[in-house]
Amino acid sequence: MTDLQLPAAPAARPRARRRRPVPWDLVAALAIFLVLAVVDLVLQPALADLGQIGLLLQTGLPLVLVAAAQTMVVLVRGLDLSVGGILAVATVVTASAQGGGPGWIALALAVGIGLGLLNGLLVGPVGMQPFIVTLATWTIFDGIALKIMSTDGGTPPPAAVALATGETAGIPNSVLVVVGLLVAWLLLRRSRFGHRMVAVGTDAERARLNGTPVRAVVVAAFVLSGLLAAFAGVLSSGLTASGSPTIGDRYILTSVAAVVIGGTSLLGGRGGIGLTVLAALSLTLINDIVAAMNADVWVTTAASSGLLLVLVLTRGLVARLSGRRVT
Amino acid sequence: MTGVLAALRGSRTTLGAALFALVLFVVGTVHTAGFASGDNIRQLLVFASFVGFAALGQTLVVLGGGLDLSVPWLISFGGIQLAVLCAGGMNQVLAVVVCVVVGLLVGLVNGIGVTVFGVAPIVMTLGVGGLVQAYLLAVGLLKATGNDVPTIASGVANGALGPIPVVAVVWLVVALVVAVVLARTRFGRSVYATGENDVVAVLSGIDTGRVRMITYAVSGAASAFAGVIISGYIGKAYLEIGQPFLFASIAALVIGGASILGGRGTYFGTVVGAIALTLLNSLLPLFNLDPASLSIAYGLVILVGVRVTTTRGTGRGWGRRARRAEESEAG
Amino acid sequence: MTIIDGAGTGAGAGRGPAAGPAAGPARELVVTGLEKAYGRNQVLRGVDLTARFGTVHALLGENGAGKSTLIKILGGVTRQDAGTVSLGGRKLPPGGVTAAQRAGVRVVFQELSSIANLSVAENLLYRAEPHRAGVVAGRRLQRRAAELLARFGMDRLDPGRRVADLDLAERQLLEVVKALAAEPRVLVLDEATSALSSADSSWVLDQGRQAAARGCAVLLITHRLGEVRDVADRLTVLRSGTTVLVGRPDEFDDDTMITEMLGRRVERLFPPRTPPGEDVVVAVRGGRVGERLGPLDLEVRAGEIAGLGGLQGQGQREVLRALAGATRWTGGEVTVRGREHHPATPAEAIRAGITYVPEDRQREGLLLTRSVLVNSSLSSLFSLVRRGLLDRRREAQRSRAVAGDTGLPEGRLHAPVSMLSGGNQQKVVLARALYREPTVLLLHDCTRGVDVGTKADIFALVAGLAAKGTGVVFYSSDLSELAHFCDRVYVMAEGRVRGRLDAAGGELSEESILRLALTHRADDTGEEAPAP
Repeated sequence: MTDLQLPAAPAARPRARRRRPVPWDLVAALAIFLVLAVVDLVLQPALADLGQIGLLLQTGLPLVLVAAAQTMVVLVRGLDLSVGGILAVATVVTASAQGGGPGWIALALAVGIGLGLLNGLLVGPVGMQPFIVTLATWTIFDGIALKIMSTDGGTPPPAAVALATGETAGIPNSVLVVVGLLVAWLLLRRSRFGHRMVAVGTDAERARLNGTPVRAVVVAAFVLSGLLAAFAGVLSSGLTASGSPTIGDRYILTSVAAVVIGGTSLLGGRGGIGLTVLAALSLTLINDIVAAMNADVWVTTAASSGLLLVLVLTRGLVARLSGRRVT
Repeated sequence: MTGVLAALRGSRTTLGAALFALVLFVVGTVHTAGFASGDNIRQLLVFASFVGFAALGQTLVVLGGGLDLSVPWLISFGGIQLAVLCAGGMNQVLAVVVCVVVGLLVGLVNGIGVTVFGVAPIVMTLGVGGLVQAYLLAVGLLKATGNDVPTIASGVANGALGPIPVVAVVWLVVALVVAVVLARTRFGRSVYATGENDVVAVLSGIDTGRVRMITYAVSGAASAFAGVIISGYIGKAYLEIGQPFLFASIAALVIGGASILGGRGTYFGTVVGAIALTLLNSLLPLFNLDPASLSIAYGLVILVGVRVTTTRGTGRGWGRRARRAEESEAG
Repeated sequence: MTIIDGAGTGAGAGRGPAAGPAAGPARELVVTGLEKAYGRNQVLRGVDLTARFGTVHALLGENGAGKSTLIKILGGVTRQDAGTVSLGGRKLPPGGVTAAQRAGVRVVFQELSSIANLSVAENLLYRAEPHRAGVVAGRRLQRRAAELLARFGMDRLDPGRRVADLDLAERQLLEVVKALAAEPRVLVLDEATSALSSADSSWVLDQGRQAAARGCAVLLITHRLGEVRDVADRLTVLRSGTTVLVGRPDEFDDDTMITEMLGRRVERLFPPRTPPGEDVVVAVRGGRVGERLGPLDLEVRAGEIAGLGGLQGQGQREVLRALAGATRWTGGEVTVRGREHHPATPAEAIRAGITYVPEDRQREGLLLTRSVLVNSSLSSLFSLVRRGLLDRRREAQRSRAVAGDTGLPEGRLHAPVSMLSGGNQQKVVLARALYREPTVLLLHDCTRGVDVGTKADIFALVAGLAAKGTGVVFYSSDLSELAHFCDRVYVMAEGRVRGRLDAAGGELSEESILRLALTHRADDTGEEAPAP
């Protein structure tokens, strides 16, 4: 080192506080949603009504919740391909009520927690890759659902139907569920556990150096995912007034798409359910728009995939032009 | 000497997969008399080669750090498009070439989305797969005729060279080529480097964008070709023909010891994985399980198989960084 | 010379207020007989160390000597195979990082532990967040973080900023504040100054002394012997996993310490320089990168070692990256051997004979799971292709040759580089750069966190290359290296070259570099620094 005496060391110079950076992820997700909403409104002016919005929300609700489930796991840098399986199990458990009480709902949720726990234990303590674990448990959970109910059918408890399709104090329950989900997420994000999740998702090894119980956080994320996916199953069952052992598969990749469109990084640690909900609602709008077109099935398939691609490609292009890295 | 040791360590996972396959084979032989018969083994080889072709591109893509979900739709495309072209009177060989080239181009679209636009592979290939599906639906509506498979496809799929099925021979040749490309060419090294750490790869002068684009293009072409022979074997081409192969293509490479995060694995491992998976597929139904139990058993065996074949270090702690930290010596 | 005589010899006349009360297990951190192996690699073979509370204790040793492992055990990150660690007479309980932290141990890890996606405040109070029913109280968190930063004189860090937006030096400083904030009984600084400018380094060392004055045992790991002499009361030298030297810094001269660290003598750190030629290999005229860098003029002659000096983050990185093709020049004229050179990718630069050794070898330099052989040939594969296939015989020959040139241990050609020590890993990155004799070699802080022996090897290697006509651009965060190794240093500040110092003219010294870097900044305090 030198003996040179430093004049007013630059280290001590306070730096001007920066302005908070613009939350581009939120802006993008919001813009996408608004554009689609406007398009849908133009196509179907009747939508401008709380009841109608509630109905639209109803159909999108299972996807919103499954996507939220996926987000929990992606936040800790995992991936859950078994969310569809858990959803299917939950629908058949709920529909096994055959007119029974709301206890069946609780049972379905508990089963969801259990299956999520199984995933979490295999990934955390056992230390297998989440992608591989959930690829296998996807098949296992689908099998369990089939075991409980070999074909579509059954009757969910009236409470499940009311939860999915009813209203409370004039407000559709579907709206309340989404609002509740967002509030829960905001609390979670600001909670100490939320900080742990972000830490583990950002960099598990550094999180460990800070004394974070990494494996426990991973297990908890999968449990939360299981719970949310099961809740999606309960609502799906209430919506269709039956259970379906094969309904889950269609949600798996869509849930990942919703997470990505929302701007949650598949590399973990960035994003959240708020963004995902917007994206899941965007996907619901796409389906609604496509349905409103009243076209052949190939047109609707092309339109929904095409719109998905347009969204992600635009996002990618914008990110590239603004010089930021994307997921 | 150390080179040999390193090679052995690298292939330990493949050895594990081979052992897994052997156990399944022994169980099958003990359980059912005809399991080890020549006919059945020939049959198994044919099935395994289907998985092998479907997983060929997937292996390259995954080694390069990506994932291709459009595989099943491109398989369906290969079968259906061939039937449609031949029904239209096109030369059959030319028709096969057209199918494979279109598959390659579709793969290229995947690659461009992933590399140029920076879209997550899982979403890009999902969307492109959806578009292919839409196209197939449209074709199905326009041409209501049953998609009878042209003779060239069924010929390749059912032909035999002496006791060995033609597809198995083709598969062997392709596997050797892929193995040489991965192990002995600049492109192969570049794929591994890109998959393990693309910053290092770029700074070392590797055009990672081009490398990844090629892997997706190969995946598209290989999937379309798989569609041709699979439809030839089944004798019909229909929309869902590719569906089982999404799961199978990924499971085969994972059982074969490749890391789903990229940079580690070999196509030889995938070949063994495909054989193990096919054995499992043909073994489980022998136990008279109902579809539900079959599905559960299938998932469980795969879980155990992956756990056994991928030795410790797949993800101790959590993710790759943790593993590296554990392995590195004191500094 | 005191060579190991059981537990801490004598009280040792520490300096100033830190010369604490009488020694004894109740006032000490005592490590005895520590052993640890990773697989077959025995890293610690019985380490002993005694550090008294209220003192700064330097821990020295070359890369691979076992310092990091020792620290990881202290911090609860790994567990020892044998031996004990006791704190104030009480054994350190097992139970990982949490238990170690509860016992009062805080480690500033070399690899930094802050979480990029959390804010400065959230990192500072990680696991100590003020909360109500589990929900973090945001305002209180901000306030408390601001108080902490002010208390340790680091209020230039904004508590609300995301750590991902901080530069390396700021992250390092945050890390130190975080450890200090916990009021630890044992504070470990693991090369906490290696990434810092001299002003920030002295802040860290000063904080270390103050923590010691408050009764903490500070364990200082550094490769800079000057720092040891400046602040340490005692020192322990590790070599190959055992304690080889214990005593006060003033008992030993530099040569003794270095010899003990290496187990051999290093004749000289900086090799004698041969005068560079006259041909210009790289010339930059009015070069610009984005808005922050340039306009910039720079010239490197064949056989010259040209340094980039100045405080950290003044654009040196951008210059190297643009020359290497990793970022693009947005203006100006760049020529290599008289030919226009505007590489769009590193591949183009490499083909033009320009090789780059990036600063972060773990993230940007190495494929960690791959062998030395594969890593060293990675950027020269195109030269190994014969009839479409890689000529593996030639590859092995060439790799063995460059591995030998860089002084990598023989017979480890096929070992994954993750199994090598930090110094040897750095040599692998260099081996790649030397695979085909480069026209221009760009070195980005290639000696950071590298021990003296390896440093000497690297300097000798680079000097030898320069003697053969390679032009070298050398950036280092260590001023003494710039002053003693380079023929000429371009001092940079705020994205421009502020002056050129020639060794031949006798104007090149640590002081002149620093003066040029600082006087410039003093000149325009009026305007806000663009802070890269």
